[in-house]
Amino acid sequence: MSFQVGSIDRTFRDELEMACNVDLDQCWECGKCTGGCTTAHNMDYTPRKIIQLIRIGAVKTLMSCNTPWVCVSCRLCVDRCPAGIDIPRIMDYLREKSLAIKDHGPGVDDIILFHKLLLEEVYKRGRVSETALALKFNMQTGQYFKDAGLGQKLLRKGKISPFSSKVRDLNKVRSFFKQEPDRREV
Amino acid sequence: MDVAYYPGCSAHMMAREYDQSARLVCRQLDLNLQEIDDWNCCGASSAHSFDRLLAANLGARNLALAGQMNTGCVTSPCPCCFIALKTASLELKENEELRGVFEAGGTSSHEIKVTHLLQLLTEEVGLDSITSRVTHRLSGLKLAAYYGCLTRPARIVGFDDPEQPVSLDLLLEGLGAQTVTWSHKAECCGGALAQARTDIVLDLCGEILEAARQAGASAIVAACPLCQINLDTRQQAIQARNGTEFNLPVVYFTQLMGLAFGFSPRSLGFNRLLTDPSPILQTLK
Repeated sequence: MSFQVGSIDRTFRDELEMACNVDLDQCWECGKCTGGCTTAHNMDYTPRKIIQLIRIGAVKTLMSCNTPWVCVSCRLCVDRCPAGIDIPRIMDYLREKSLAIKDHGPGVDDIILFHKLLLEEVYKRGRVSETALALKFNMQTGQYFKDAGLGQKLLRKGKISPFSSKVRDLNKVRSFFKQEPDRREV
Repeated sequence: MDVAYYPGCSAHMMAREYDQSARLVCRQLDLNLQEIDDWNCCGASSAHSFDRLLAANLGARNLALAGQMNTGCVTSPCPCCFIALKTASLELKENEELRGVFEAGGTSSHEIKVTHLLQLLTEEVGLDSITSRVTHRLSGLKLAAYYGCLTRPARIVGFDDPEQPVSLDLLLEGLGAQTVTWSHKAECCGGALAQARTDIVLDLCGEILEAARQAGASAIVAACPLCQINLDTRQQAIQARNGTEFNLPVVYFTQLMGLAFGFSPRSLGFNRLLTDPSPILQTLK
């Protein structure tokens, strides 16, 4: 991508730095975040490049790349960053901001769907049933037989069950949601 | 000692043997785990990915409920739940408005000590107390202590070393087992991507299993439901794909503590593991 130094729009960067309590001038591009990153090899842009993209105001690229969604929040990057830049928080910020974007590339829509279904469980029951979550995910993605053999084994071992507990004070839990989770957006 | 206990969703379902064995060994150590009444899900990776305030609120409600129990300390066996609680606790310290919403009597929600179960056992109970209860030493076992992301980020967790953690190794050695030096003790298993991006998790877990095998371990010891579930339940798929026979049982550290304290494998839920644990159980006979 080409850009001109004089024409960089700092708005996005300023807002991000404020919200995440980070100062990107402190990044000296050493790449330790990326060297240790669990899923860097699956990312469109590695964490080090993400910092650069924020610095040059490449908002469109940041909003559409798969990086924040493939990030597993293992938080290794922030521990290894010599400047202590809170990259996991930046990833959270990018996810929140790019949630409404449709085209994140292959494999990302499924990740977003999974998060939405999980939060839907929290909204409905206050707790998550792994069984219900896995079944809903497979139905929604049309993978009716995904992990079916594994599921049978887990059932035999008593590791999964169709029954799950529920929070009594559900209204309180639901009041934390800005709106009812809606998976139809995906 | 009374401790508020936050099991988390996995401990009620996929990781029931973790919960079961944790309760048994804690009782043996005079730790009274009192489950927080009406606790809610911490929101896992999903809540903080979508809405930071939602994650803080979900954690804050659990902390407020724990505060009413006046134990001064809350513990969770799950690192994800633990990090979520601890993050919410820090958020409450900083955010006066949020704190106001959740003050409900008892210990103030941001003043409760938040610990992971491994931390509680090694720091509060102590290795000496634990080893003094050992009746069946785990001699002959060569174990790979696996921490995953438990100790990260250091500034939130504040426990053990983020790069070279040792607490679990020391605990297992205290039970009489031998631990191996290996490269992947603090590498991530891929966590919550198991469902949506199984391919990534198979890659990551394959590397972890291979590292443990090369180090000569006869089992991997986990302190996290997600780690245990990924390494155990995906092992056959990885074996089929990589053509390597691992057959590495992946057990919870509380299950091994239980064995060393003299409990039966069945009471500790060894029968619920997918990868057959009988080779390691036979070593102990």
